[in-house]
Formats: sequence, structure tokens, C-alpha cells
Amino acid sequence: MKTANDLFKEFKILSVSEFFKKNADMLGYTGKIRSMTILVHEMVTNALDACEEAHILPEIRVEIDHRGDSHYEISVEDNATGIPLKFIPDVFGKMLAGSKAHRNMQSRGQQGIGVSGAVMYSQVTTGQPAVIISSTGEEMWEVKMNLDLQKNAGKIIEKNKINDNGWRGTKIVIEAKDVTYNKSKYSPYNYLRMSSIANPHARIEFIEPDGTKILFPRSSKTLPKSPKIMKLHPRGMSTDDLLVMAKNCRARKLGSFLRSELARVSRKKAEEIERVSGVSLDKNVSRLTWNDAERVVNAFKKIDFMAPSSEGLIPIGEENIIKGLSLINPEFSVAITRAPKTYRGGIPFIIEVGLAYGGKSEPGIEIIRYANRSPLVFDQGGCVINEAVKSIDWRRYRVNLESTPLTVFVNVTSTHIPYTSAGKQAIAMEEEIFNEVRFGIMETCRGLKRYMDSKRRAYRKKQRIDSLLKYAPETSKAISRLTGRDTDKVKNLFIKLIEKKYA
Amino acid sequence: MKKTEEKLTEFGESIIKQLEKGRDPYIKITQRSLGNVKYDDVKGFLVMGNKYSKRYYFNIAHTRKFMQTLLIASYCRQLISENKHAGIRELYYALKHTLEGTKKENTFEDQDESNPIIEDLELSLNILREELNLTADRRGYIYGDIVIKDGEDQFNCSKLGRGGWAVPGNVEEIEFKRVNAKYILVVETAAMADRLIEEKFAQKNKALIVACQGQAPRGVRRLIKRIRKEAKLPVLVFTDGDPYGWYIYSTIKQGSINLAYLSKRLSVPDSKFVGMTIDDIEMYGLENVTEKLKETDIKRIKEELEYPWFKTKDWQRQLKLALKKGVRIEQQALANKSLSFVADKYLPEKIKNEMFLS
Ligand SMILES: Nc1ncnc2c1ncn2[C@@H]1O[C@H](COP(=O)(O)OP(=O)(O)OP(=O)(O)O)[C@@H](O)[C@H]1O
Ligand SMILES: [Mg+2]
Repeated sequence: MKTANDLFKEFKILSVSEFFKKNADMLGYTGKIRSMTILVHEMVTNALDACEEAHILPEIRVEIDHRGDSHYEISVEDNATGIPLKFIPDVFGKMLAGSKAHRNMQSRGQQGIGVSGAVMYSQVTTGQPAVIISSTGEEMWEVKMNLDLQKNAGKIIEKNKINDNGWRGTKIVIEAKDVTYNKSKYSPYNYLRMSSIANPHARIEFIEPDGTKILFPRSSKTLPKSPKIMKLHPRGMSTDDLLVMAKNCRARKLGSFLRSELARVSRKKAEEIERVSGVSLDKNVSRLTWNDAERVVNAFKKIDFMAPSSEGLIPIGEENIIKGLSLINPEFSVAITRAPKTYRGGIPFIIEVGLAYGGKSEPGIEIIRYANRSPLVFDQGGCVINEAVKSIDWRRYRVNLESTPLTVFVNVTSTHIPYTSAGKQAIAMEEEIFNEVRFGIMETCRGLKRYMDSKRRAYRKKQRIDSLLKYAPETSKAISRLTGRDTDKVKNLFIKLIEKKYA
Repeated sequence: MKKTEEKLTEFGESIIKQLEKGRDPYIKITQRSLGNVKYDDVKGFLVMGNKYSKRYYFNIAHTRKFMQTLLIASYCRQLISENKHAGIRELYYALKHTLEGTKKENTFEDQDESNPIIEDLELSLNILREELNLTADRRGYIYGDIVIKDGEDQFNCSKLGRGGWAVPGNVEEIEFKRVNAKYILVVETAAMADRLIEEKFAQKNKALIVACQGQAPRGVRRLIKRIRKEAKLPVLVFTDGDPYGWYIYSTIKQGSINLAYLSKRLSVPDSKFVGMTIDDIEMYGLENVTEKLKETDIKRIKEELEYPWFKTKDWQRQLKLALKKGVRIEQQALANKSLSFVADKYLPEKIKNEMFLS
């Protein structure tokens, strides 16, 4: 018989990084093409986030170099604020560390895993360190660093101060194996193309492994407004959330805590919470028990609150979506930003839909999905956006699923995107989100239908004129043979009349 | 001749006039449908009404036909001024070519496009096909003791071998020099006509045998009409006992719906129907050699029941009997008795006793 001591000899505490090393697929690193695109995605979203927060028009440069069999070097450079040296090991080496996860605010990144995950993938496939060059405007450093997986921390191997040359920003260079490059729908190329559409204020330069330089130009000079940090709405809270907040707040009594820390709780609402939950507003928050908190959260569910404010949500805007879609060079485009709604009772979101018809769109519907402007390239099948697109009766809008060249753009903006997994490539089937996407598509489709109808009318008119003109020469010749009149004069009579009727 | 040319010129001028006034030019086309055909029971033949439709250049559904109508008119004018004649198939090929500025579209895709337009023109300009210097497709022959002069040639139609004389599309210019016969027997099928010729039916009965080979073509109809009028011979019609055969008789008698405007020149209102009838089946014991009516036959019989010229007691009885029995009977079914039965017994007996359906 084994003793507890025998068994617990094997007991180990796994760090987050060790966990994700074993479960890299949870971060999206599955398959050669997908892994490549995820690496680019993690670095590019960070770059865009950093620029936006600093109110800088993004200039991003992505370069992919072929190193050997399934072996590439990837670098991404931005023109944001740069990262102070002492934060570099945590930013790139520590998982669940970042500036975005603990605040209730819309941003592309939200977990503090992304880029450290990329560095981890690089390290476990190549054993090579990541190289980070960053300038804050005051100092510029080139850092070679590693991950200490057990400690979930970054370790600097080598650092060099570089003379300031006026450049500010961050460039990260990593090597990766088990990746490959092609130009498919799932490639970094398409990822960047999609990024450019949803971020018309960004200028993105891309150098492919064969040296081809591609520029996705900036089509709008206006920076998106900065999102604001928002108070949590009662409907979006769990018992645990409430307890954690209660422990960390400055208020003394439950009443003032609820009013100051949560959104949409007025004095009157607080009294209603007291009545429904039976927990006194005078209760000292630091002594709040699990039971109390549970009763309060249950009361939240029974009471009507004003919908959460959406001022913290910054959609792309109709005008900018159309500018973004101009990359496709469409014959017709239309976009709509829907009014803010909430899902799960308290999480605000905004749906935006754009349609681009013709131009570089290929025959058939192409769905391009975004979460907070970040392209979703994989797992389309399981995504609420895909389901909503499928639920539309497209024929009603003169669209043939196989042959109409149509790009359907959908962006979900929210403080919290309900992804189906940590790979962050598909949005869960939330009913409210599904409905909003549907309504957005239907609204834009009405515009599309009007365009298609007028196009069809114009086409018919042209066909009509064409066939009238087509028969004019022969008819005129015949009339001239019958009457002895000049053929051209008769023909001109026909042409003049056709022009008059269809002017 | 001058007159036809003038009409054609006027036709072209009228289009120019409309164009100059800025109007959507159209051509008046007399309707050739049952709705625009009346049975004149005094005269005994079909006459054309005066309903017409307009063929507009600016109606996309009409434009192509509009062009085709003018193409045919101009071609006929050219024929007349060159004093030449053309068959309607020749006309089709003469006018067929690819339209300027198109890859594949032709002025006419097949003859079914040009034929009806010729009829449109005849009707709408009130000019006969013959006056347009067009000859119809030819079919049918005549056999029997009649001497015909056709241009330089003169011949007896019983001395041309078993094939008789093939009737041309235009018989306006021929002359009948001598006729030695008591009646004309119009026969639907060539096979039956050949049988009668072999059995020396023409000689034995002093008959002129005319094979129309299906629906009687214009040349044949005009020939029958002229012999009827000029030689005063009665006309007897012998067809299959089915709705198609009966309509052949009705066309010879009072004109066809399509060519109702020509009835006066083509129809023989006092022609008689010898057979086949449904009554023949029982009378001659032909029950074993009938054919079942097809869906289309039944439909056709029901239409014929409504035609005013079939509204006689005998014809209504006959048509209804066909529906009731659900059968038809072919001329050649008589061979079931014996090859010579038709020539020796059936026809002589029916004709002698005037067992006609009227
Ligand atoms: N290019 C950059 N410039 C400035 N700061 C950056 C840059 N890249 C990352 N950071 C900082 O590093 C933090 C960690 O980035 P990381 O990608 O690991 O997580 P995240 O973006 O917060 O969330 P997610 O896991 O969803 O990507 C960010 O929150 C940001 O504060
Ligand atoms: Mg990130």
C-alpha cells in the first residue's frame, strides 16, 4: 500500500506558463498556418492597442523571413510609446500580466497572455531568445530575453543601450518553427488586409518571405476616440466579483459601496436592493459574507436597472468602415453602427455591419469578422457572426450566395467579448449578439437591395438601348432599299429617336 | 406589277414618316388567329376579320420581327424589279446573315422565322405571295386524263408514269387544254394515291387523283379550285378518319385559319367528304384495325366540335362518335380487306350512292 507521502512526492504546482506550454492549442497554436497567423496577430493587436492609447496614428511594419524548413523569423514594429526597460521582462515574459485585463475597458487585448504566449511558442519551438528593441523617447534598449517557464517570468540574457536616433516605439523579433507561410484566407496576409479594413487610420507595411512589399495605406486620418474605463454594471456581476471588489474598496458601508463602485445604482436603486435582498445598506462592506453577497447579486437579477452606459465603447463608425472597405475598391458599400445593447443582462456591446459589393470581392459571400477591430480569421464555423449571416434570407436582397461578389463585414465592440476559447477566434452564441448582427445585416441589406435594383434597372435600360441599336442598321438598309432613301439618313432617324426616348 | 412595287415603297415611306414625326414606328399586322376568322355561311368559306396588332420598333419583343418584316419586304421589291422569282427557302437563305456588331445573332435563325412574316406581309399589304414573286414550297401531285399547258410544255397527266405531275407552288400561269374526267378525288396520303393509281382507279372511274400529302399546300388547293371552276368538276375528299384528316377536308372546303384571307381564291365550298368516317368501321368490319385516340387527338376533336362549319348534325355525330369509341381509322386500314378493296368496292360504292358526310 502506498502512503499519502508516496503519492504526494509527485505533487507539483504548475505555473501558468507551464500550463499554457502544455496546452498551446488553447492559445490558438495548432497547425503551421494558424500558428503563424496567431503570432502575427498577438504582436499586431498589441501594437494597435498601444498606439491608440497613446493617441498616435499607427504605423506598423510586419516582416516575415524564411529561415529554413517550417522555420521563419517574424518581426513587428510600431510607433507607439515604447516600453520602459524594467517592464520589458513582464510584458514579454509573464503570463496574465498586462495593463488591460483588470480594468473594465474596451481593448483588443484583454487577458495579458497574448505576446508572452508568442514568446513562449518561439522559445519552445526554436530555443532562441526574443529580441526587443524599444525606445520611450528617453532611452532606447535592445534586449535579448528568455522565458523562465517555472517562475512564469521573463529573464534578460543580454541588454544594450542604443543611441537615441529620434525613433520611438517597439520592435519585437522572434523566430518560430512549425509554422508556414502562404497567401490563403488564413494567412498573415489576409489577417493584415482585414486589420487594415477595420483600422483605416493605420498604415500597415508588410514584407513577405519572398521580399514582396505590400502596403495597406491609411485611408482615414482621424484617430478613434479613446475608450473609457467603465464601472461594472450590476447585471454583469457574479458573487465572487462583488466580494473581491468589496474587499478592495474605500467605502465603508454597503450602500455607499454599491453607489460608488457600480454603474447605474442610485440611492433609490440601493434602497430597492436592500428591500429585495434583505441585506442592510448600513452593513460594513469589509464584513460582507458570501451569503450576503449572493443575496445582493440575486437581487440584482430581479431589479430593473438602466442599461449600462456605452460611452466607454468606441465603435469604428459608419464613415470609417466605408473608408476601410475602400481597400476592396467596391462598386457599392454601406455600413451601419447599431445602437448599444447588452448581453447577459449587463455587458454592453455595439454591432457594426458593412457590406462591400463588387470590386475586388470574389464571387460569393465572404464574411470578415472582427472583435474590437481585431480580425477573427479562424474557427468561423462556431462563431455567432457566421450563424447570423447564415440565418439571413439573402435572395430577398438580390444576393446569390455562390455568385454575388459580396464582402460582409461585422465588428463586435465590447468591454468583454465572449470568446468561445482562449484562442480568441470565435464569438459565442449569445442570443442578443446574434439578433443584433442579424438586424445590422438586414439594415445594410436594404441599402444593398436598393442599389442592386437600380443597377438592374440601369442594366435593363442599357440592354434595351443595345438591342434597339443592334437592329437599326439592318432595318435602315431595308427601308432604304424599299424607298431609295439614303441608308445613313434613315439610320440617323432611328438613332436620334432612340437617344430621345432613353436620354 | 407597278402596283405591288408602289405598295412596297409606300410601306417603307410610312416608317420614315413616323420616324420623322418622332413617333415609335409600327407596322400593322392583321391577326391570323381563330379570333379573327369568321365562317361566312352564305359563301361557305372562312373570311378574315379586320382585327390587327401593331408591331412596334421600340417594343423589345417586337424589334427583331420589325427588322425581319422590312428585310423581307425589301427583298421582294428587289425580286420584282429584277423580274425574278424565289422560293421561300431561297428567300430565307438570301436574307440570312450575321447581324452587324454581334457575334452570333443572325437576321433569321431558321425558316420558321421567315415563313410567318411572309404571311404577315401578304395580309397587311394585301399583296399575294405570287405578286411578291415568291413561290411556296411544293408538295402534291395530280394523276388522270387532263391535258395541261405549262409554259412551253403540254402534257397529259395520265401519261407521265405512275408519279403523275408534281404540282408547282404557283399554278396561276398554267392552262387546262382538255379534261376528260367526272370528278376530282383528293387523297390525303401519297401511299393511298399510289394504290389507286396502281389499281387503275382513275381510268376505271374517270377520276382525277390529287395527292395532297398531308395538309394541302397552296399550289394544290389553287389547282383544285381552278379545275372545279374552269372544268366544273365536283371535288371529293378522301382522308384518314381522324381529326387531322378531317381538318384537311375542312381546309379544302372553306379555307384554313392561317390563310383565311385567301379563302376566296383557294376554297371549294361544295367539296364533298367521302371518308374515312367512324361509321365505316362498323359498316366495313374494320374493328380490328382501328388505332386508339391520343391525348392530342382528343383535344383536337374537341376544338373541331366548336368550329361553326362542323356544326352540322352529321359532323357533330361523327366527332362525338369518335370521342365515344376513342378510336381513329386510317385510309390504309382498308387493305385489311384486300389491296384492291378500296378501289373496287369502298370508293365506287360510296361515290355511286353519294354516301358523303355533310
Ligand atoms: N507594442 C507594445 N507597446 C506598448 N505596450 C505593450 C506593447 N505590447 C504589449 N504591451 C503591454 O504589455 C501588456 C501585455 O501584453 P499581452 O499581449 O501579453 O496581453 P494583453 O494585450 O493585455 O491581453 P491579451 O492576452 O488579450 O493579448 C499589454 O497589456 C500592454 O500593457
Ligand atoms: Mg495582447
